[in-house]
Amino acid sequence: MSETCKVSVERRGDVALFWTDGYINNQGGEEIAREAYSELDSGARALIMNLEKTRIVNSIGISILIEVLEKVMERKAVLAFCGLTPTIDKTFRIMGLAQYAAIYPTERDALRAVGASS
Amino acid sequence: MTDSALRTVGRIDDLTRALAALRRENETPLPVRIAEAARSLVGARRAAVFLRESEGWVTAFDTAGSEPGWELPARFPEAPEVEGGLLWVPLEAEGEVHGFLALEGGGFPELEEPTELAASLGLIFGAVLAASRLARLVKDAEFELKARLLELESLYDLGLSLSGQLDVSALADEVLYRSISLTDARKGTLVLFGERGAAPLSRSVGGDLLPPEAVRSWDLPEGDVEINNDAARVPTAGVRLADCQKCLAVSIAVPGRRLGVLAVADKESRDGRVLDFTPGDARLLSLFANQAAAAIETTRLHRAAIEKERIERELELAAAIQRQILPRELPQIPGLELAGATLPTRQVGGDYFDLFPLSRGRLGFVVADVSGKGIPAALLVSTVHAAIHLQIEASDTIVELVSRIDRHLQRFSAAHKFLTLFFGLVEPEASLLRYVSAGHNPGLLARRSGEIDRLGATGVPLGLVPNGSWHEETTRYDPGDLLCVYTDGFTEATNGDEEEFGLERLQSGLAARLRLPARVLSDELFREVALFAQGVPQYDDQTLLIVRREA
Repeated sequence: MSETCKVSVERRGDVALFWTDGYINNQGGEEIAREAYSELDSGARALIMNLEKTRIVNSIGISILIEVLEKVMERKAVLAFCGLTPTIDKTFRIMGLAQYAAIYPTERDALRAVGASS
Repeated sequence: MTDSALRTVGRIDDLTRALAALRRENETPLPVRIAEAARSLVGARRAAVFLRESEGWVTAFDTAGSEPGWELPARFPEAPEVEGGLLWVPLEAEGEVHGFLALEGGGFPELEEPTELAASLGLIFGAVLAASRLARLVKDAEFELKARLLELESLYDLGLSLSGQLDVSALADEVLYRSISLTDARKGTLVLFGERGAAPLSRSVGGDLLPPEAVRSWDLPEGDVEINNDAARVPTAGVRLADCQKCLAVSIAVPGRRLGVLAVADKESRDGRVLDFTPGDARLLSLFANQAAAAIETTRLHRAAIEKERIERELELAAAIQRQILPRELPQIPGLELAGATLPTRQVGGDYFDLFPLSRGRLGFVVADVSGKGIPAALLVSTVHAAIHLQIEASDTIVELVSRIDRHLQRFSAAHKFLTLFFGLVEPEASLLRYVSAGHNPGLLARRSGEIDRLGATGVPLGLVPNGSWHEETTRYDPGDLLCVYTDGFTEATNGDEEEFGLERLQSGLAARLRLPARVLSDELFREVALFAQGVPQYDDQTLLIVRREA
């Protein structure tokens, strides 16, 4: 597995769909945050992050995702995750991310929930 | 109300509004918002807040104009005072100074001559800063608490997950990912040593810390963990790890045996620095390594049990094949007394004997011993059995029969498989015994007189070399003569002193019992070997065939 996390984003109306590939650590988290803030600034009202190609998240990555979540809430937008491994799913629930961000099994479920066309 | 009182009420209103604005969360950092509020309240031109952070003093200016480049006075003011054209106000709460407010210019008289009002501003904004810091501390503590809970849950989950995991590769991934994640490492490598000379299994995130070829140089005793916060310069456990600044490494081991290595490197911080690994990190990695070791050992034992079960099944099948091939009862040939038996061992070998009643009272017989054990040996015995039965009628001589079997084996049997064989043909009418011994143990021909001849090999084992050759020997076979043919499991039976029963003991035992009926003689010889072995398990079948010409 590469130590560099790759993040790609696609905009579907006011929903920004993120795909991560690799370790969400400081570098990966910063990359996600940069893209997320850019999407929020350009009017996105929902961010969906598909993490199916991510196997590892460390506490730095989680703290950055929490910062992203706080920013999303300030902007009255929503954040959702999908494609989580059972380990990451449990990590997000324990660390409190799941308290304000929704977690869906699949990308389709997440898109349907935020009302975007897949 | 006097003008002074009105001004005071107006300032209180302004202050109330300013504090309300500070409470509202927005994207502007709190120190900047405090500077803005202070500037606005006192009508200053510029304002700044100096904060004491863990990495040193941090300055936050208001948003008016460019950064003026103010610096803290060399002597920190203990109360509001004017220094270098700026009013310095300590931001204080609960007797602790959290920072300083600096104000420049404007119509506010405090900027010229500090009064108690300036001190009050310091206390109010100090309290705001302290509350913010406290909230941050609580938030950090809550995060830390959740992180510890995550560690505990991870250890529990890992134990559960590994207990049902028989795929060592998936197991290695699981342990490595959790180790990297929970130590905040940037990279990590897990190497499991290969068993019985197999290549090591290596898993890495962020590049190989420990190249597989360096694994054998790893010098970390089982149970030890090494924190190396100078890994860029100093080897870790005798190995220079690749491309890392700090590392934490532990051996994966069960008592008395090292199974592998787990190493993580470069602990991250939020600001991008590489932090030292701590004893807490070392404890966590050790726990992961212990769980991994237990799971790997369980997997190994499980595999060994499956392999044992497979071998047991194979041996049962081989034994069944052997039982099908060996004669269930011996033929009745007038003038000949026969006895033959095979004592199979637990590791089924490739012993075989058979008898073939022929025309004119003749009897063909064979004793063979196939190389190897288990299913392959049993299948080769089956092949030889079929070949003899097919070729015996079509062959004019024993040599022709043996040659045909050899060609058959050369063509169809697996490489490196061979067998020794003694094929005899008794011709009572001519009182002759013809035989070919393809590398077999010497047959013992006991004359009626008590003299015993050894019938040696007349050619090489079958299937061993291409174009092998054999010749037939002929000897007298008079009434009262007795032939004993056996396999090496009989003479090579060993006792507790690793001493072999040997040909001499067999020959002596035979000579001493020549007058016994063939069946009884056979049983006695088997019993003598068993007594000699003293219960030591034998690893080769024992076969004995006796053909006596009645007197």
